[in-house]
Amino acid sequence: MTETITLQPGIDLRCCTDTRFKTNCLSLQLVRPMRREEASANALVSAVLLRGTENYPDLRDITLHLDDLYGATVGSLVRRVGDYQTTGFYCSFTEDRYALGDDQILVPVVDFLKELLRKPRLEKGVFCESYVEGEKRNLLAAIEAQKNDKRVYASSQLMKYMCAQDPTGIPRLGEPEQVRALNAGGLYSHYQRLLRESRIDLFYVGSQKPEYIAQLLMPVFQGMDRNYVNLPEQTTFCDGGKTRQEERMEVTQGKLQMGFVTESTLNTPDFVPMQVLNTVFGGGMTSKLFMNVREKMSLCYDIGSSYQGGKGILTVGAGMDHHMAETVEKEVLCQLESCRRGEITPAELESAKASLLSSLRAIPDSPSSLENYYSTGALSGMNLTIGEYMDQVGTVTVEQLARLAQSLELHSVFLLKGVQ
Amino acid sequence: MEKRSYPRLDEEVFWDRLPNGLTLAVIPRRGFSRKMAYFVTGAGSLHRKFTMDGKAYCAPMGVAHFLEHKLFDMPGRDISAEFAAMGASVNAFTSYDMTAYYFSCTDHFYPCLRLLLEMVTKPYFTDESVEKEQGIIGQEIDMNEDSPETKIFEDLADRMYEVHPVREPILGTRQTIAQITPQVLYDCHRAGYRPENMILCVVGDADPEEIRSLAAEMTADMPCPQVVMEGQWDEPLLCGSGESHRQMEVARPMFQLGFKCNPLEMGERGIYQEFVGDLAAEVLFGESSELYLRLYEEGLIDPSFGGGLDTVPGMAMLTASGDSDDPEAVRDAILAQARHIVETGIPEADFLRMKRSTLGGRIRGLDSFDSVSFRICAYHFSGFDYFRFPEIYESVKAEDVQEFIRQVVVPQRCCLSVIEPKEETEI
Repeated sequence: MTETITLQPGIDLRCCTDTRFKTNCLSLQLVRPMRREEASANALVSAVLLRGTENYPDLRDITLHLDDLYGATVGSLVRRVGDYQTTGFYCSFTEDRYALGDDQILVPVVDFLKELLRKPRLEKGVFCESYVEGEKRNLLAAIEAQKNDKRVYASSQLMKYMCAQDPTGIPRLGEPEQVRALNAGGLYSHYQRLLRESRIDLFYVGSQKPEYIAQLLMPVFQGMDRNYVNLPEQTTFCDGGKTRQEERMEVTQGKLQMGFVTESTLNTPDFVPMQVLNTVFGGGMTSKLFMNVREKMSLCYDIGSSYQGGKGILTVGAGMDHHMAETVEKEVLCQLESCRRGEITPAELESAKASLLSSLRAIPDSPSSLENYYSTGALSGMNLTIGEYMDQVGTVTVEQLARLAQSLELHSVFLLKGVQ
Repeated sequence: MEKRSYPRLDEEVFWDRLPNGLTLAVIPRRGFSRKMAYFVTGAGSLHRKFTMDGKAYCAPMGVAHFLEHKLFDMPGRDISAEFAAMGASVNAFTSYDMTAYYFSCTDHFYPCLRLLLEMVTKPYFTDESVEKEQGIIGQEIDMNEDSPETKIFEDLADRMYEVHPVREPILGTRQTIAQITPQVLYDCHRAGYRPENMILCVVGDADPEEIRSLAAEMTADMPCPQVVMEGQWDEPLLCGSGESHRQMEVARPMFQLGFKCNPLEMGERGIYQEFVGDLAAEVLFGESSELYLRLYEEGLIDPSFGGGLDTVPGMAMLTASGDSDDPEAVRDAILAQARHIVETGIPEADFLRMKRSTLGGRIRGLDSFDSVSFRICAYHFSGFDYFRFPEIYESVKAEDVQEFIRQVVVPQRCCLSVIEPKEETEI
């Protein structure tokens, strides 16, 4: 499905050649260990790079250039994958064959990527101060805006408390205090270090052959002063103790978040069965949580669960009248209990499998889901191809699921309460 | 079925209209595993007042959305579970002007399609199930009460429109949905879900003829009453610089600006007007505009800023929204820039570049099954064949865009809706 070419030590290109799409995608990620002290700098740096380069010194020059390339988009890409944080760019652009006349898109997009990475606009030898200050403001606003979506907010608060001793507890974009402390000089030297030491992951989806893409991308990294440092391995969950937290906000609907832990992770053989259990339990409209807590009992509008294989954490999120939080929590545990007793009907199991298989089978139908599956897979250590993943889903049994449900232990709870 | 080809886009569509009036559109996607079907009625939250077979009806606010939830009920069956057993995911949404039911699958496409058609065409409501749904939708309404994105638009529409039902929330309120009964739902279903008011759109590697015969079979006994929907609203175009302010739990002030436009005409003329409006937004405050750069550098807007033309039958508005500490300054800057453009015109090179960019974006959008299905259906109700967009884009004239800006982007047509952070209170 994908082919990997190593351009230099620590610089890998993954290619997925596919002629069905009108859209091409090219991503570039500098991979860092997730660390409290550099999380904000990493999140900020790609936004600052997108403000101006030597040849396209301001935002408008960049946009005009991208408009010429049939509205190609180049955005900042900041991910968290287990203990790693990535910073870089995601480019999405039109396949050359839809351009008018002899217009080219792919080659100029690669040139522009090089320009962004290697020739940022500098002032007194460092990033432009006004760009850094402007993007600090935007990053602060983005961090604070997470509070606007109460579900997202509640879920990140749970992670913060539950994972106080684990990198998962570090917010993806860092903390406001750290953002405020950054300056143009410090950020520029941090960037130099990123370019020198980081693992760099590239991913391409489009009609061109991997060798051709490799040949196009090679010059992007030529003459770089590299001293590649191996990333530390991903670690398992570091438990800082259980906790129960509540917060009040002036909201109509309360949000409950429950975090469970399990020994089953990406690195154990039961990762795929655990995904099936998550689907049976809280993954979609036929799950036990949806069918019982929402449909039968009308206790909430939204409820669902998700499983982070990297750390073996399963979270349940629900939105309800906050007076009902206790009832919802009890009912969630009750549904988990029934999974533990193996009370999973053949229909529930088959639906969960069919739904997982269907979403896996559809991944190759979209450039961005291909990019996401393989790029994050390469980082997390989840090295299953889509086919292997599907094969494993097929063999899961109820007994396996019951055993896995027994391994889940409630760890921490967060409740966002309304004021009335 | 009639096959139309769109060589510029490498696309073809099989179109048909069944004798009962149902429109079919099949967009083949050879070599893809995924298949998607949208079954859509042109009845949305706006269409709660109508006459049917000579009798006048006025249903409570929120009825279209309520109906959408309830069509998932079939006696003694669990529709979601039946879809899930086939590995398909089914969902639905209600907007102002349409209600869509759709599924996506990789296997068992025809049984899934049969199930979708059955579910939407065979209503089944009881007092008990309606009452239970009032609880669930009540929670959804509460959730929306906490959603700044929803409230900001509802406030804006309420401020800008005097008559047009876009001022009513799609979900209704707890009070209005309490008035819904099984009979209300049966009446609205009969009125809105007539085959001639519906389209079935399939995207994926499937056989058009087989889809056609299945659709014909499943919709054969759908009622076809005589219905006239309320569709003319005597809405003034001026709204006089209104403002709406509301406090919510948000980090920074959020704003949405609206400029009232003439409602779009039907068919090609309407799409031309829509593209003129979209390009006007690009020219005025799009990412490559002078104004965007200036406001961004001054810190008045951030990457959350954006806008375009929002249209619903009987209304259209140019909107711009985002987070800003000074929404009034953003509004004033847009008004000033509009005056500047009206005086100096739009440089031809800039205009061509913007067209090319917008065109590229729309072409890439064709890779998305959801986006293609949605657009084919939405434009069908506007009387336009969506895949003809490249030629319409090319025909848009800069002077029409300039004239649009001259007419629309003026203080008398403008309203501003702001959500401010709550002031600190002791709790």
